[in-house]
Amino acid sequence: MAERILLVDDEVDFLDVVGEFLEDEGYEMTTAENGRQALAILERQTFDLLLSDINMPGMKGFELLREAAARYPAMRRALITAYDVRDYLYMAKNYDIGNIITKTTPFNFDEIRVLLRTILTGDIFGLGHYIKGTIHTKTIRQAGEIEDAVTTIAESMEEDEHKRKFRQALGEIVVNAFFYGARDERGDQKDKWEFGAELSPREAVIVSWGSDAEKTGASVTDQKGRLTKKEVLYWLERNTTKGSDGLSLGLLDEHGKGLYIARETIDRFIVNVEKGKRTEAVMINYKRGLYDGHRPLWIHEI
Amino acid sequence: MQIANILLVGVASSPLAKQLERYGYGVVSVLDTASIINVDTPYALMIVDQSLMRDFGPDAAERLYFMNNSVPTAVLIHDPAAIPDPLHRIILDGTFEPVYDHEVQSGFVCSKIDRLFITSQFNKNLKLHQRTFHEKEMLKKELSLREQILKQERVINTNIIGSITAGLIILDTEGLIVLVNEHGRELLDLGDIMGASYVQSLPGEIASVVEALSRETSTTLPHVIERCKIGQRFLEISAFRMLDYQNKPSGILVMVHDVTDQENASVQLYRAEKLATVGTMLSGIAHELRNPLSIISARAQRALASDRDEPARIRKAFESIEAQAQRCASIVNNLLDFTRQTATKAGYHKVADLLDETLTYVDYQNLFDDISVNKEYVPDLAVYGDRSRFVQIFVNLITNAAEAMEGRGTLTIRTRAADAHHTLIEINDTGPGIPPDIEPKIFDPFFTTKEPGKGTGLGLAIVFKIVQQSAGAISYTSRPGKTSFRVELPSAKERTHG
Repeated sequence: MAERILLVDDEVDFLDVVGEFLEDEGYEMTTAENGRQALAILERQTFDLLLSDINMPGMKGFELLREAAARYPAMRRALITAYDVRDYLYMAKNYDIGNIITKTTPFNFDEIRVLLRTILTGDIFGLGHYIKGTIHTKTIRQAGEIEDAVTTIAESMEEDEHKRKFRQALGEIVVNAFFYGARDERGDQKDKWEFGAELSPREAVIVSWGSDAEKTGASVTDQKGRLTKKEVLYWLERNTTKGSDGLSLGLLDEHGKGLYIARETIDRFIVNVEKGKRTEAVMINYKRGLYDGHRPLWIHEI
Repeated sequence: MQIANILLVGVASSPLAKQLERYGYGVVSVLDTASIINVDTPYALMIVDQSLMRDFGPDAAERLYFMNNSVPTAVLIHDPAAIPDPLHRIILDGTFEPVYDHEVQSGFVCSKIDRLFITSQFNKNLKLHQRTFHEKEMLKKELSLREQILKQERVINTNIIGSITAGLIILDTEGLIVLVNEHGRELLDLGDIMGASYVQSLPGEIASVVEALSRETSTTLPHVIERCKIGQRFLEISAFRMLDYQNKPSGILVMVHDVTDQENASVQLYRAEKLATVGTMLSGIAHELRNPLSIISARAQRALASDRDEPARIRKAFESIEAQAQRCASIVNNLLDFTRQTATKAGYHKVADLLDETLTYVDYQNLFDDISVNKEYVPDLAVYGDRSRFVQIFVNLITNAAEAMEGRGTLTIRTRAADAHHTLIEINDTGPGIPPDIEPKIFDPFFTTKEPGKGTGLGLAIVFKIVQQSAGAISYTSRPGKTSFRVELPSAKERTHG
C-alpha cells in the first residue's frame, strides 16, 4: 500500500508541483495550506509522513511538527524551507527536529526522492542511497591508518576548490568516529589517548567513497551507535549561536567541532544512527557548486 | 616772541608754515620721521603729513606715536579716504589731531593748533618739551629696541604662517596675492605668484570660492567653505573676508586644508553604512526570492520530464526557464554569502603564504595564461584576522586585476609594512585603468562592468566589507596602464616568530 504524505505549505503553487511529483513517485498525497488545516486533516486520517514548510502565516512549521508529534508519535516528520537552514539550527535543537529539506534552485527532485525514501523506510544506511556509481570501502582499525584513508579518498576526487574543505571535514569525521565513536575516548583527556591500540574487526571504522556525474561522496561508519540526534543538534547549535562576545558558544569546546566543520563545509552532511549498533556520517559534495547556499539538516535515529 | 616751536614733519605746505609763524609759532621742518631724532630745537607740537604714513608702511604711525608720546601731534590730511588704518586708529582715540587742507586754507588751522597747544599746556600740565642729549640717547636705544621687537614679531609672524599645517593665501582688495605660505605652495603646486591676480594664478576651484565670497554681501564676518578634489587630494577651502578696524574690507584670507585622509575615512564609513543597510534589505529580498525560484525551477523540470513529445521550441522554452532560474539562484546565493555575517576565526598569517595560496586558487584559469606575475614581498610580514576572508579579498582583487587586463599584462603584488601596526598589500595591474565616471560606484554592491552573467558586481563590495570588519583600510589609484589597489591590514609582526 502506498505511503501517505501530508504536505503543508502556504504556497499553493508549491503544493501543486511537489504534490504532483510525489504522486508520480507512488505516494498518496494530501495537501494543506496552513498548520490549522493540517491538524484538522490529521484528526480524520493517518499519515506516514508530515512534510511541512517552516515559514507560514499563523502556525509555523516547527510548532505544527511539535503539535503533531504530541498527538501522533508514530508519524514521521520533516520540514522543508527555501531559507537558510543554518538560521534554524537553534529552533531545530529546541524543537528536537532533525530533518529539514531545502527548496533549492535548480529544484532537487532527486534529493527529495532519496531523503523521503530513507525516512519512510528506515533504510537509512549506505552511501549507495546518494551515489549512483561504484562505492569503494576501506576498514580502519588503527589510528595510523586514518591519514592514509583520508588521502586515498581525497586523491580520488576531482580537482576543485571544494576538495581541500572536503578533505579537512573528512579527516575530522574519521578521527571522531575512531576515537569517540569506536573507542569512546574523552575529548578533554587527549594526552591519555592510546594511539597504538588496534580496534577489533567488530569495532573497526568503515569508510566508503565514490562519485557519479553530479556529486562526490564519502561515508564514515562506526559500529557503536553512541551518537544521538540530540547531541548532534546540541553541537551544531553551539557552534552557530554567538555569545555576547560575538564568538560562537562552542569556540573552546573540546567536542563538536568536527560535526560543525563538516556541516559548514560540505554540501550535504547526513548523520544516521542505529542506537547501540552504528553511527554513519555521510558527506556529499555537488560538482560545479550546483546547490550552493542550501544545506539541509538530515539526522536519523532508529 | 614765539609761543613755542612746532615741528613740521614731511609737510611741504609752506602756507601752513607761514600761517603758523604769523600766529607766533616758531617752525622747524624735517623731511621724514627718521630725521626727527636729529632736531635739536625744542618743540611743543608736531605736525606730520599724512602722506608720510603711507611711505612708512603700516607701522609708521605707531612708531610716530611712540616717538612723540609727550608732544601733541597733528596730522595734515589731504585725502580723508586714504588714511592708513593705524593712523586712523590713533586719530580716533584722540592721540593725533587731524588737520585738513581746507582748514589750512581757511586759516582755521591756527586756532586748532592753539587749542592743541593750550590743552597740552594746561590739561596735561606739560612743560615745553626740552629734549636733552641724554633723553635722545635713551630714545635711540628705545627705538632700536622697538625695531628689534618689531623684527622679532615679524619673525614670529613668519614662523606662524610657515608652521600652519594649512595652505594660507592672502589677497588684497584688488585680488592680488600678497602672501602664500610654504604649505600652500606645496599643496597647490604654485610657483612665484606674489603680486599676481588670483584669477590667473590659483586653481579654478579656489578662485571660485573667492568669487563666491566676493558676492557675499552679509555684514557679519562672512566666510565660504567648500570641499573639492584637486589632483589626488581632497581639499577644504575656506575663504574669509579680512576687515580693518572700520569694518571695511581689507583683503581676503584663504585657508586650504588637506582633508584627503579624513575624506577617505568618511567615504569608507559611508560605504560601510550603506553596505550594512543594503545588506539587511537585500538579505531579506534574496531569501524571499528563493521560494518562487525553486517553484519556477520545479515547474520547468517537471514540464521537461513529462512532455517528451512537445515541439522543440516548447522544450527550448522550458530549458531556458530552468537555466535562467538557476542563474537567478546563483545571484541570490552570492548575495546571501555577501550579507551573511559569519563569526570570524582570527589568527596570525604570513602575508606571503596567503597571497601564494590565493594565486594557486586563481591562476589555473585560462585568464592567467598570458599574465606575468611579479611578487615583491617583504619577508616575514604577517597579518591578524580570518584567513579565509583574507584569501577572499585577494581572490577578488587579483581576479579583477586579471580581468581588467583582459588576460594580458603584468600583475605586481607588493607587500610592505605600512606603519608599526599595519601591513600594506598592493595589487597592481597594467590594464586600461578605472574610467573616472565609474570611480564613485566601484565599491557599490551589484556594480559591475562585466557582461551580464559574468559577474554579480559583489566582488569589491565583499572586499570592502571584509577589510572593514578586519579593521583595515582599502584605497586605490588608477590611470591608464597602472591601477593599484592597496589593502592595509592589522599587522601581527610580534607573533610570527613566537
